[in-house]
This record gives sequence, C-alpha cells and structure tokens, in this order.
Amino acid sequence: MFIDFFYQLRNVGIPVSPTSFLTLQKALDMGLINSMDTFYTSARAILVKSERYFDVYDQVFAHRFQDAEMPELESLVLDEVTRALLEGWLEDPVSLAAALEMDASDIIDLTPEELIEYFKKRLEDQKGRHEGGRTWIGTGGTSPVGHSGHHPNGMRVGGVSRNKSAVKVAMERRYKDYSRRGLLTQDMMAEALKRLRNMVPVGSKDVVDIDKTIYQTMKNGGEIEIVFSRRLKDRIKVVLAIDNGGWSMDPYIPVVQTLFDYARDQFKDLKTFFFHNTVYDFLWEDPARIKKPFKVEDFIAFDPQTRFIMIGDGSMAPYELMAADGSIHVEERSGKPSIEQLKFLVQTFPHCVWLNPVSSQHWERTPTIRTIQQIFPMFELTLDGLEGAVRHLMAK
Amino acid sequence: MAKHQNNRFSGASRYVLDDELASIVNVSMALEMPLLLKGEPGTGKTMLAHAIAESLNMPLIVLNVKSSMKLVDALYQYDTLTRLNDSRFGDSKRDVSNIEDYIKMGKIGQAFTSKTRTVLLIDEIDKADTDFQDDMLDVLDQMEFDIIEIDRTVSARFRPVIVITSNAKKDLSDPFLGRCNFHHIAFPDPEMMRKIIQVHFPDIDSNLMESAVSTFYELRKVDAIEKKPATRELINWIRALKTDPDFNPDLLAREGIPFLGVLFKKSQDYKNAVSFTNRHGLA
Repeated sequence: MFIDFFYQLRNVGIPVSPTSFLTLQKALDMGLINSMDTFYTSARAILVKSERYFDVYDQVFAHRFQDAEMPELESLVLDEVTRALLEGWLEDPVSLAAALEMDASDIIDLTPEELIEYFKKRLEDQKGRHEGGRTWIGTGGTSPVGHSGHHPNGMRVGGVSRNKSAVKVAMERRYKDYSRRGLLTQDMMAEALKRLRNMVPVGSKDVVDIDKTIYQTMKNGGEIEIVFSRRLKDRIKVVLAIDNGGWSMDPYIPVVQTLFDYARDQFKDLKTFFFHNTVYDFLWEDPARIKKPFKVEDFIAFDPQTRFIMIGDGSMAPYELMAADGSIHVEERSGKPSIEQLKFLVQTFPHCVWLNPVSSQHWERTPTIRTIQQIFPMFELTLDGLEGAVRHLMAK
Repeated sequence: MAKHQNNRFSGASRYVLDDELASIVNVSMALEMPLLLKGEPGTGKTMLAHAIAESLNMPLIVLNVKSSMKLVDALYQYDTLTRLNDSRFGDSKRDVSNIEDYIKMGKIGQAFTSKTRTVLLIDEIDKADTDFQDDMLDVLDQMEFDIIEIDRTVSARFRPVIVITSNAKKDLSDPFLGRCNFHHIAFPDPEMMRKIIQVHFPDIDSNLMESAVSTFYELRKVDAIEKKPATRELINWIRALKTDPDFNPDLLAREGIPFLGVLFKKSQDYKNAVSFTNRHGLA
C-alpha cells in the first residue's frame, strides 16, 4: 500500500528511509491509523524527520491524496541547477551545448536568462519522455486506498538514467551538501572541529580522584585518605591566520567565512590574523591589513600549546616565498625571506596546520604549495581534510 | 490492540494538546518508538512529557542531558567511595563483598528497573555529542545494558514511554532520526494560546485575555529580537498583570505596557521593545 507515496516523498528530496516506511506499514497493520487525519500526522511523524521538509510533505500529501497540483521540481532545486548550469556555460560552452543538444554557436549568443528558459523547457521535455505525463511521477490512481502498488516510472527522476548528460548531473547535485568532499556547512565543521579540545585541570580541587584515593588508602594501611583533584576543562588556544588578500582567494571566501564564524563561536581563546599570500615580518589583526600590525617574532610569547592554523591557497610567485625581499608590499622587506618566517612559526607552534581550500589534486602543480607543504603539514579545506587536520593538531 | 486502547493519551489538566500531537504520541507509544520533539523554546516540549506521565498515571523520570555527560552516567553509577568507606569502618548494612550493593541506577537504569511502566523524558539531547546520542539509542533500542563491574545485564521490565526533546537548529544524526518518530511543535496560534491561558487561569477576565494575547502577538513581531517571548513569558506576564490592582485591560492599548521586563529578558531586546511600543503607539 502507498508505495508510490513513498517514492513521491523521496523524489521531491525528503530522505525517507525504507525502514521508516516499514514502520508506517506496521502502524497501519496494527490498526493504529483509522482516519485520514491520523494517517497524515502519523505518517509525517514516522517518515519525515525534519521540519524543513514539512512544507514539501504537505504538498506531496495533498497531491497524492487530494489530487492537488504536484509541487514543481524546478522550484525545489532550480537555484542549485541554475548555478551549476551557468558555471558549466562559462567554463565549457561546447560540451554544454552538446548536452542540451543545440549548436555551440547558438548557445554563446544566448543571455543567461534565455539559457535558463531553454534549459527549463528541455527539462519539461525530458520529464515527458522519462515519466510520461505532466505530473511526472507515477500517478496510477488517486483513490486513497487499494492502490495497485505497482510503480513503473517514478524512480527515474534524478536517479538512474540512460542519458547521463550534464543536465542530469546537475539535477543530482541537490544532494551535494551531504557529500563529504563538497562545500562545508557550519554543522559539518562543528562535527569535525568538535574534537579540537585541550583538557587541562583548572579551578579548585573539588573532584574525588578515585584511583589516587584507593592508592593512598592502601598506602596508609587501610586508613582512608580521600584525594581531590582539579576538574578538567577545555582551555584550548587557537590562532587563526587567514589569507584574505588577492583575487586568488576570492572563490574560497564563503568556506573560509564559515570556518571563521564557527571558530569564533566555538573557541573561547581565539586570535585571528590576516596576511596576503604568505607571511613576512607582520601579520595583521585588522582585515584591511593596515592598522594593527603584529610582529611575527612576538609569537614567541604565546603559549606553545596554542594550535596554529593557517588558511590560504599558498599560490603565489615563487620569489614571494623565497627571496629576501619577496614581499609585494615594499614596507615590510626586512631581509628575511618568507620561508624563514614560516619555519619560525612551525618551530614556535608544534601544533600547527595549513588548511588549503585548493583541491589537493592541484597541489602538485603549484611549486609554492609544494614548498609550503615541506614546512607546514597541509590539509585540504574539506570535511575529510579538516578531520585529518584536527587529528594532527591533537596529536601529542 | 486492547492494551493500547485503554491507556491512550488525551491531554492532562495543565497541558493543552492539539489532536495532531495526541495521535503522534499514541502511535509512538504503540510502535514502542521514542518520540523526538523539536520546536522553539517555550512551545511545551518538556511539558508534554509531564502531561503524558500525568494522564497515563505513570511515574516520570527526567534525564537532563549535559554536554559533559557520558552514557554510563545515565545508566548507572558505581559508588566506589562509599564502598571504600564501608570496608574501612564496616558500620553500614551493606555487604562490602557484594559490589551490587554499591551500584546506583542512573535515570535510564531507573526507568528500566521500575516496577511499573514509566515515562522517560530525555531533555535537550542536542547538548550531548553525537556519540552519546547514538550509543544511547542503542541502549533504548535493545532495552538493556550491561553493568561491567558486576557482569550483569539490566533489561527493562517495562518498555518506558520515551520522549526526547531537542532545541537544536541542526538535525540530529541520521541513525538517530531513523529510530525515532519526529514532531515539530509549532508556536501556538492565538486560538490555541487562548486555550492555554484558560488552562492556567480558569477564571481569567475575557477582556484581559483578549488584550493580553493580541498585545503579545504584536510584540512578537518586533524586529531584531534575539529571544522572542514565548508561552512561559506570556503566562508569567498575565500573572503579573493580575496581581497589579491598578491595571485596567481597557487601557492596555493606550497607556503603555507594564512589566515589559517579564516578556523581554535581554537588555537589548527590552530596549528594542520599548522603542517599538513608543513608536507605534501600540502600547
């Protein structure tokens, strides 16, 4: 029963698990659900696990059981699709044209709006061909009970397809938030950075140390001696140094911003500095890198247990890193090449990493990244990379 | 079926239940699945568990989750210190050689060993980390846990009715969600709010209630409020209004809102609310 309902929910992007669907069947079998209203609420409680999907659920429910208009797929995923489409268009008009089955010369003449319009039209056609009919998902019947349960077409949307065009791939991208290598969300960062903690004993001695108590008591020949110790608290210190200069970091602003916001909430003892490309004599405490210079030498006064995190693409002209007067800013040419300053930082802070938003596949091709990699342990700014970085920062 | 029928949940004396929520609670109880409740603070997530316990006439056991909590804390505690003390002084009735005498049940343990069916409220689960959440669900799924010190397995005599609340904006982990039923409690609409107030103040003057409720919903619209006033604040505010002998509900619309501090508890919110009411003459 209601199997098409299950697929409809999945097709609009609600992550309904088969187990929960079986649970719903169980509830039906037990006779717990005896009216449409109860079915509506119970099915929602069992199948839909986040209020973000309640609205979509309502629409699907109305469609399935009250024959209302199906929510348009476009409105749900179009933002994402449009972006992917436009990116593809900018990068490689020829293959996109092929995917859309039109002439490359024509596609170049289109405005972005026209392109999207055309794309939508194509999408309609494709739906027609794959699913048969305006409402695009198997709508074998509209009576609320006793549906045949056979579902010939519905599985296709965004799923298996013989025609693996760019358009199709774009549609599948609506799950990209969940992909581990995709763009990081704040929640995913929270998950990865949660283990970045430094537990140290602080405060008054108010916790009974059972092991020591037993040891002391034995030592006293059974005369009880209770040993108190301090509570363990998280006292991690973090320094975040962000490359915020130059156009080469521009594409990564959102992800770095997310990391920065999260770090500001999470770490009580956080200092943020800014630099351009690499480190010379100074880091800056103000993002504009004008007002508050901070001498790199002064880091020696910091707690060596501080976790030092550099964020930058590490991509620059080799001389900027190697030459004694490599800085592109004249006022900070002190005679020490940047590479020496980086080595100094690594020596000062044994727990340090370099997070690079550039995909690690490209690291080999950039000589400066390779050089920095020899000094700083470098990790990709992705969920996997962050986990590796945290593991490295927490290693003794 | 019959056994589900006779202890159906239909609302308690201090809690106003909508039909939707009632049927979800009933289905979850029958399916023996935990019910996960999310919603704005002050929408009555915690109160619901109290109400279920009251109306089903079951004892309520509350586990307040803390960020530092380990799963074993919620299950049981081995009281080494008392045992050490007893072994030294031997003046208690407990048997020092019997470790079981020194095992104390935690909240989940209490719910499992209780002689009657209980309602187990796990409050603010989002405070703990993901591992805690998943491990706890394992225990609740299997309805048993091991006490390693005495090598004994504690199984639940009666499967407790489990209600879990979460304030988090973010979703809990997928395996966790897979094992729960979910409900999001929306903020009550004015209609519902009147019923809620009626429950708390059965003899309330209808004039006072009308003006209080409409003012309350107006105030919730004030922009840039960090913590919007919720049901709890409204009820306290009405209580305050009722105790003020000089207060005249007819003048609420003209003479300024008394006790704004009851509704807005952050100083910035308070300032915003005051300036809003002055500007709009709503007060």
